[in-house]
Amino acid sequence: MMESLKLLTKILISTVVIAGISFAQTITVWAWNIAVPAIESSIESFQEMNPGVEVVVEDLGNQNVFDRGLAGCAAGGFEMPDLYLIENNEAEIFWSQFPDCFVDLATLGAEELLPLFPDFKWTELIVDGAIYAIPWDSGPTTVFYRRDLYEQAGISADEIQTWDDFIAAGEKVLEATDGTVKMGVISIGSDDEWFRMIANQAGCFYFDVEGQEVTVNQPGCVLALETVKKLVDAGVIAVGGWPEQIQLFQNNNLASSVYGSWYGGTIQSEAPEQAGLWGAYPPPALEPGGVRASNIGGSSFAIPSSSENQELTYEFAKNFLANADNQITSLRDYGLTPSLLSTFEEAYISEPVDFYGGQAVWQDILATLGEVLPARGTQFFSEARDVTTAAISDYINGGYDSAQEALDQAARQISQATGVPIAQ
Amino acid sequence: MRRSLIVDAPRRKKTRLYLWRRLTPYFFLSPFFIFFLTFWLYPIIWSLVLSFVNTRRRPWTLDWDFNWLRLVNDSFFWEALRNTFLIFVGQVPMMITLAVLLALAFNSDLLRAKGFFRFAFFAPLVLGAVPYSAVFQLIFNGNFGVANYFLNRLGIESINWLFEPVPALLTIIIAVTWRWTGYNAIIILSGLQSIPNALYEAARIDGASAWQCFWRITLPLLRPVLLFTFVLSTIGTLQLFEEPWLITATGPGGATETLLTYLYKQGFRSFNFGYASAIAYAVALIAAFLSFLQIRFVGARDE
Repeated sequence: MMESLKLLTKILISTVVIAGISFAQTITVWAWNIAVPAIESSIESFQEMNPGVEVVVEDLGNQNVFDRGLAGCAAGGFEMPDLYLIENNEAEIFWSQFPDCFVDLATLGAEELLPLFPDFKWTELIVDGAIYAIPWDSGPTTVFYRRDLYEQAGISADEIQTWDDFIAAGEKVLEATDGTVKMGVISIGSDDEWFRMIANQAGCFYFDVEGQEVTVNQPGCVLALETVKKLVDAGVIAVGGWPEQIQLFQNNNLASSVYGSWYGGTIQSEAPEQAGLWGAYPPPALEPGGVRASNIGGSSFAIPSSSENQELTYEFAKNFLANADNQITSLRDYGLTPSLLSTFEEAYISEPVDFYGGQAVWQDILATLGEVLPARGTQFFSEARDVTTAAISDYINGGYDSAQEALDQAARQISQATGVPIAQ
Repeated sequence: MRRSLIVDAPRRKKTRLYLWRRLTPYFFLSPFFIFFLTFWLYPIIWSLVLSFVNTRRRPWTLDWDFNWLRLVNDSFFWEALRNTFLIFVGQVPMMITLAVLLALAFNSDLLRAKGFFRFAFFAPLVLGAVPYSAVFQLIFNGNFGVANYFLNRLGIESINWLFEPVPALLTIIIAVTWRWTGYNAIIILSGLQSIPNALYEAARIDGASAWQCFWRITLPLLRPVLLFTFVLSTIGTLQLFEEPWLITATGPGGATETLLTYLYKQGFRSFNFGYASAIAYAVALIAAFLSFLQIRFVGARDE
């Protein structure tokens, strides 16, 4: 009797222990859209090193991940996943409002990862010495262009060195096509992406890199806005949003598309019949010989402090993010541009891509990544973007006499909303 | 212990008993009071305090005019106020008129199956906001929606309901009207039923037409009920959140941003509780002011 009781206890205890272990060894990840299968593609290689560990990647959608993450942090880490995907631009609200919600990854050894990624990717992720997230993808600004349409207009991608060249080329395209083909699409009033892409080349952004001053009315940003206005006034870019841009290139009404490198995936999936006609080159500079590199978008991974598997989760993240093979897979299969520097030496990067007429596009696109200047979103990113978008829209529609005036007004509004002083 | 105490002090026993009796109802009411204090009174007072606090960075600091100065100069706030006002102007009078007509129909002797119709028009309220919004998104889908199908049948071109500023605002107005007209009609119906039949009989004997009866008897006697629905609808419009949040996602480009969606974004996306509190108090002040005006001008003759 006694013996069987002991045995029963043993069984019970071991069941509990096993259950405990198997429960503890599930890593949940929150992500969105195409990122989900990309992350899942690395699970197998992780499980080879850590057999028996389950990884569940949940697709909540972009906005939901952000909203539920904020709510979870506000509730002291309640129901948070083990690994949390976060957009670099809007990441800082988490660290500044809830400094204890995410693990300082330095405690898990993340310092080893610092030299593996370009500096600009760490801008928002390291605050007050704490490493809050590990970089994943990036969006080096790229001009995707139609070789056939450029040829028809008698222009060549190599000759477009500055935005003025770009406008001149656009005028030739307009001439050659009776004004039906444009050089890009700008959304006025709903986003300010062109402004951000060009301002980044001038090293200017809403805030300075320390996040201590509003810099949106500094000369670099003014120059960027003047350039945007020149592009619109010359009539070389069409006005429209995301769906219009797709319609336009599908109907052969776009000679080029200027966006983050991730836009290539959209072109490939929406216009497969245009395979071989496309090419890519880095964005033109503001002045001859100026900086061409620029970045728009990108995301990173953070580990909530409430996770019970922090070390294992760190291993999983490291295996996905700091492993060139896995990053190449997510580039090749899902078009997500890595920021891991060692991927640039992989053979795949220098392979010609048929869709782009045999050009080794990834090599050309990634070549500029190391030169991208940092742009700090700060915790006030979305508000600063809303204000700037409205000011730009007003300026383009003639509401201000100069770009300086429009951005001075934007700077005042941002400062009033955030309490951050305007740089002198 | 207790027993000896009672025996020793009969007078004290009496006052204790008296006090106990006086307090008993409050014990029964205490769940409400506890709830009221923690979830109503405390937030109401604390958010007033917060509206004078700069909550942008930790630690929060007292800064009297930081949020209120921003409110006055914030073009997004004024845009949200303008959108809310447009919805109010486009929606409330139309809805109340429809509700009065519906109530007259509900009250009419000609109508059969009254119970069914009353329930049918009240039913939208029984439905949750999320499924109803999802259905409206489908109805007003720019490519495949049934709204555009009917417009096309009538020879009118498709409208991009959810992604053009004016149609998006119209969609919200239609949705809110659909949801609340029946509710208001039921309230107005109760007002109609409280009008004594004798008045109509007397009027008819004096030779009044149905039209005259409506203008001279029904409407004047409905005034308190109409005022009630009008004030409720005004406050409801100022607090409009679910429809613009779920159907149009406050888009396109903020064209359907309302005071409360802006408040929510400030409070729970930017975690700027100070400014969100200032907006909340601004909304409350506007609601109080509008209600005051309505009671003053519509309800004046009751005094």
